[in-house]
Amino acid sequence: MIEVEHLTKRYGKVTAVDDITFTVAPGRVTGFLGPNGAGKSTTMRMVLGLDRPTSGSVRVDGTAYRTMRAPVNAIGALLEAKGFDKARSARNHLLSLGATSGIGAARVDHVLDLVGLGDVARQKAGGFSLGMGQRLGIAVALLGDPGIVMLDEPVNGLDPDGVLWIRRLLRQLADEGRTVFLSSHLMTEMELIADDLIIIGRGQILANTSMTDFISSWSSLRVRVVTPEAAALQGVLASRASDFELLDSGALVVTGVEAAVIGQAAFDAGIPLHELTPLSVSLEDAFMELTRDSVQFHTGEVAA
Amino acid sequence: MSTAPAMAPSAAAAGHLSFVRVLRSEFIKLRSLRSTWVMLASMLVLFIAFGAIAALASTGAIDSANGGPPRSAFIDPVTTVLAGGGFAVLIMSVLGVLSGAREYGSGMIRTSLTFVPKRLPVLWAKVLVLIAFVVPVAVLAALGAFVLGMALLSGAGSDTVTLGDPDAQRVLIGTCAYITGLAVIGLALGMAMRSMPGAIATVIGGVLILPALLTALLPDAWRSVLKFLPSNAAAAFTEVRVRADMLELGPGIIVFTAWVILSVVVAAVLLARRDA
Repeated sequence: MIEVEHLTKRYGKVTAVDDITFTVAPGRVTGFLGPNGAGKSTTMRMVLGLDRPTSGSVRVDGTAYRTMRAPVNAIGALLEAKGFDKARSARNHLLSLGATSGIGAARVDHVLDLVGLGDVARQKAGGFSLGMGQRLGIAVALLGDPGIVMLDEPVNGLDPDGVLWIRRLLRQLADEGRTVFLSSHLMTEMELIADDLIIIGRGQILANTSMTDFISSWSSLRVRVVTPEAAALQGVLASRASDFELLDSGALVVTGVEAAVIGQAAFDAGIPLHELTPLSVSLEDAFMELTRDSVQFHTGEVAA
Repeated sequence: MSTAPAMAPSAAAAGHLSFVRVLRSEFIKLRSLRSTWVMLASMLVLFIAFGAIAALASTGAIDSANGGPPRSAFIDPVTTVLAGGGFAVLIMSVLGVLSGAREYGSGMIRTSLTFVPKRLPVLWAKVLVLIAFVVPVAVLAALGAFVLGMALLSGAGSDTVTLGDPDAQRVLIGTCAYITGLAVIGLALGMAMRSMPGAIATVIGGVLILPALLTALLPDAWRSVLKFLPSNAAAAFTEVRVRADMLELGPGIIVFTAWVILSVVVAAVLLARRDA
């Protein structure tokens, strides 16, 4: 369980994280979604006590991380893909970190096998691909067999095989009752992994909901209707729809009313329908829409 | 292994932090880098080799007609055989910087501090492990240079000094202490500056070169201040004949030790306070 309360982080005049409050629950995969620069990594660093909050607090299993006596059992984290010494072998990297908490070679070798680095464990990590580096970072996160696994952009650089592997791993960890918290700037990826969704933009929480709620609130809102009596249909739906759009093709796009309701209303009014198609809004679009104002660097502004 | 992949029996008893465990962690870190052993070996070889070369040059066995120090420079046998001490100091202060700043270069420091959230034990452990690596090799190198150098001097019929000589003892122990102290200062600067090039430039330029330069260039009146700089204070125990305007042995030890401690304290304060 991670509890974030009124967390704020300012660097000089820049507010990276602006008074955010949320809880990450055990037994579920919680996605932390936001554009680059939205404050995801800063928040995660504050969870681990690496950055000091300007105000607010973070508790990990009820305590401040920096006071924990057995931190590796509480939370394991992947913060940066290349956070290891290039000249040291993967095995020695894990051995050195594990030693701080009495974790020995047996566990290190087990975790290396688990992430698929068993064969290259004794090679210098500098020769690793980005994907292998990610796997090593995930091995670090799993080293202490923690109740909470927190991963910053874990899918970055993984090949399709690796992406599939990490999805299964995270699901399994959550099914074991662990808290799984991962960040991404890719909605499409989150859709496949996460149960819960916390969306952050410009340091503020834009949405904190379950994935199913998020999907249902953003899809099926627009319906494409083809009818010879478009004007009549508009009249019937006028009180319920929020917007009508007449396309060049003659099709009518109704916003704010579900397809079933439109069909029933048309039937009741005796209006023939040739086509009735819910337009699924892609979650990518929904995410873009939600964070449009909070992307730090718009491409358009750069051109100016 | 068909059970839950992240579960393992070995982790059950593990997890709790202790200083001994952090020490072990830092020991593994330093041990597992080849550069550590390369630098320690270079220190050993260069220290002894330069002593031998200086000894041979002082006896005329090596012709220094094409440059090199004049024979008059080798008045004192202890100074002669420990001619490689300067190199040893350079190499070990760089080793210190590496063990302090290297993790900042890779970003591994954030992982390390995640494992040891109290932070300061990491610094203390780095200092102790570095000392444990440097001291034995420095002692071996200094003794090796002394024994080999004196043997060469003796073979050529030059004056020699034995290990029983009080000045020889003072300078041998003092040189090892100076090497170790500057390694620790290098580590502290590395941790404080978080940059290998910056810290190397500072330790070599600021601690080793600048004081000597200032001492040579500034008017004599400045000597009363400059003698408190680390390398000048260390002259009390690294030079056979200490100049009268330098600190005496006791104050020299105190001032140099104070510099070492100060550097570590600054690094500790910054480590505890700054965002990682």
